[in-house]
Amino acid sequence: MTRIRRYLSPTLIISSALLLASFILVSPAFADDGPQQPRLQESECLTCHSQPGLQVELANGEELPLTIDTERLSGSVHERIGISCDSCHPDISGYPHPKLEYETRRELSRAFYLTCRTCHASNYIDSLDSIHADIAAAGQMESPICTDCHGAHYTQYPNEPRALISETCGQCHTEIFAAYKSSVHGSALIEQNNPDVPVCTDCHGVHNIQDPRTALFRTESPELCASCHADPVLMAKYGYNSDVYSLYSISWHGVDVGVYKANWPTIWHDSAVCTDCHGVHNILPPDNPASSVSPQNLLATCRKCHPDAGPNWTGAWTGHNEISLQRTPLVYYTNIFYSSFVPFMLLLAGGYVLLRIIRATVDRVRRNLP
Amino acid sequence: MSANETTLKQARDGHVRTERTFVRFSLGQRWEHALFLLTFSVLLLTGLPQKYRAAAWSQYILATPQRLETIQKIHHIAAVLLITIALYHVVRSMVRLFQRRLSGEMLPVPQDLRDGVKMLRWLLFIDRKKPSFGKFTFEQKFTYWFFIFGTVIMILSGLLIWFPVLFTRVLPGGIIPAAKLAHSAEAIAAAIFVVMWHSYHVHIERLNLSIFTGRLSEREMREYHEREYERLTGEPGSPTDGEPE
Repeated sequence: MTRIRRYLSPTLIISSALLLASFILVSPAFADDGPQQPRLQESECLTCHSQPGLQVELANGEELPLTIDTERLSGSVHERIGISCDSCHPDISGYPHPKLEYETRRELSRAFYLTCRTCHASNYIDSLDSIHADIAAAGQMESPICTDCHGAHYTQYPNEPRALISETCGQCHTEIFAAYKSSVHGSALIEQNNPDVPVCTDCHGVHNIQDPRTALFRTESPELCASCHADPVLMAKYGYNSDVYSLYSISWHGVDVGVYKANWPTIWHDSAVCTDCHGVHNILPPDNPASSVSPQNLLATCRKCHPDAGPNWTGAWTGHNEISLQRTPLVYYTNIFYSSFVPFMLLLAGGYVLLRIIRATVDRVRRNLP
Repeated sequence: MSANETTLKQARDGHVRTERTFVRFSLGQRWEHALFLLTFSVLLLTGLPQKYRAAAWSQYILATPQRLETIQKIHHIAAVLLITIALYHVVRSMVRLFQRRLSGEMLPVPQDLRDGVKMLRWLLFIDRKKPSFGKFTFEQKFTYWFFIFGTVIMILSGLLIWFPVLFTRVLPGGIIPAAKLAHSAEAIAAAIFVVMWHSYHVHIERLNLSIFTGRLSEREMREYHEREYERLTGEPGSPTDGEPE
């Protein structure tokens, strides 16, 4: 009964109604698009374009293959919702086609991909704010465009399976992808299709990917790690401590980084952030002997910034642990001394001064009495 | 009538009190105190913004990374000065104690505990008469030793966090976070102590500037340092027990 009532909740009914209405209102708009021009049927295009070996030579001599794999095409996300050839190739209304005026295949791709923005405007605008757009503006034409990551004709959901996201980035960023694949995050993703570990876009963003080598990215990176590693539910699932970030932010390094984040986020600082010790794409769990923070490697990792540190140095690190008698006895006793004995002494001294004030006042009043 | 004659007449009539003063601190001791006061203040003022770096007021002061560097430099210079004063004080005091040119009155003795109890009994209105003291009162000795203890802690912990790599070549690494904690907590303890205890005794209870002038009046000597007065003058030092002079 309660279950049925849940299905009948007003919010659900209203939102379903709205959704339905939007379909009804929007679909005629699609249909209205070209009543003057007869639309070219996809089957008509495929009469030629399913022929194997169909291609055309561009001005620079590059061959542009024109054959479409009909099976893959019919499985694409666009095809499944009825978007056909002319939606993206509106300039073609019959045969013969207008002549292709492009020097190279890349030039053609860079012109054709702009058609994506007709429907995916916000993602396109985001992509203009990315490092990929920046390097394209600087003249690097190989910089990726929509179709490089999503494909042109055989577009699939980019996150099915989830590992596909990172594999897509790995097509260009091969070295980083190789390191990522062997990391605690990457191996869980690729071997177990783990839904919790970060894929590239979780840390770098999707369409508006920023340069991760800037001071700003560095200063904000601990927060990025914290978005998962400070989540108690998520960390409990894997037996990790979710206090690592809060303890880091009150540690020597963390306070420093916090001040830079608050005041000078774009000024470079050398105080250690998560990735300085744990690694970036190649992060391994600390109990893995190959980890940069495993007991065997910890000193070497410290020495990246503190080159003269001796073997005792690693004992100074308390960044991820509460004060405890077992781990940090010196800090433990110092803390007891300053949180009990010293306040007690100050309280005694304060009480003593108060008694003196009372005694002095009483004496003065007595002296002035007749 | 000339001014001089007036003064003489008034003196005869008892209108002008001519008072003896007693040397309490040597010029060197007064300088030591002045420099300690200066370095202590500079260290506190440059240390607090570093301790409370996460606070808005501190970030207002330390508005640029360069300012943080500057404030640390000032802190380190003041620290070196304070260490010098502290070493000078300890070495000189020990040498002079050994040569018997300095009385050991500042050294802690079991009598201090008894004096503390006596003071407490007087403060709680159990005893009617205020306990008498020698050159240093119970409170002054407590102040001195609190600062000695605090200065030792601050110097040691400060050096540890200034040169952590150097010290952990010999000492365990855990001493660095312990020193950081101690430096931070002891600074606050010392600041509270100065404001609450020291400033009460030298400003509010009475304005005692003898550490700057070097001298104490006969009246103050008799009232606060009765036994010392007796020792120096051979006269009974007991104050007039509430009688007007």
